[in-house]
Amino acid sequence: MKTLLLRLEPVIWLLFGAGIMVGTILLPGYLLTVALGGPLGLLPEGARSYERALAIASNPLGRLVLLALIALPLWKGAHHVRALAADFFGPGADVVVGSLLYAIAAVGSVAAILAVAAI
Amino acid sequence: MARPSHPQAMTPHRPAPTRTAPPTVPDDFYTKPRMLTYLLFDATGIVYLLVGFVALRVARALDSGPEAWADLMSDFAQPLYVGFHLLALVSVLFVGVRFFRLFPKAQPARLGPAKPPPRPVLHAMLYVVWIVVTIALLVVLGGVWP
Repeated sequence: MKTLLLRLEPVIWLLFGAGIMVGTILLPGYLLTVALGGPLGLLPEGARSYERALAIASNPLGRLVLLALIALPLWKGAHHVRALAADFFGPGADVVVGSLLYAIAAVGSVAAILAVAAI
Repeated sequence: MARPSHPQAMTPHRPAPTRTAPPTVPDDFYTKPRMLTYLLFDATGIVYLLVGFVALRVARALDSGPEAWADLMSDFAQPLYVGFHLLALVSVLFVGVRFFRLFPKAQPARLGPAKPPPRPVLHAMLYVVWIVVTIALLVVLGGVWP
């Protein structure tokens, strides 16, 4: 498993780097509107309607942005939680913790692809 | 194309006589501001993981129909979700400020024939992209345009 993690390291770092860069760039806009502004009634009525949200998310660019918003933060999260676990619990459990976290991120990413494709 | 080398090809057959102790977090880490900031930066990973899965719920609600969307918006108005999303916003801003400060320093001096722009310019470019994308998302998702 350790060898597999080492072999996959370039891919993991690519996804982690995309997660920290693209995820961080995209998240404030999403959090201020869909996650906070809409539910708290800070946006105009039409802005939070299902029809409008569906039209934006089913657009090819909208799908791409939504997929990036879901999948990339998972890889940033998995990699940094792995580093945090290694800091606190030492390198002994790193292979198990790392494998588990990357598996969660991979499953979440596949689920994101399926969910975005289904919209 | 050359075959990729084994990732442990350079590992010595026998461990060297002097071993480097694995880095550990000191017991009083919470009294050391630099250590605390570093650990907080890593801890934002927990928030990012959760944000990813909550955003997945948004996509599934869009696929499920208007009722699921209304339920989601109703859930998002609950204090637990509002608190979490505020925490997520603070985490993202913290990561952005720290990472964008680090990013120019981590660039190689030369990329093939091209030299990366000076650090302050690269730093400013990251902020410009961040602000422009955020404004674009606010305009589109906030119902201003189209």
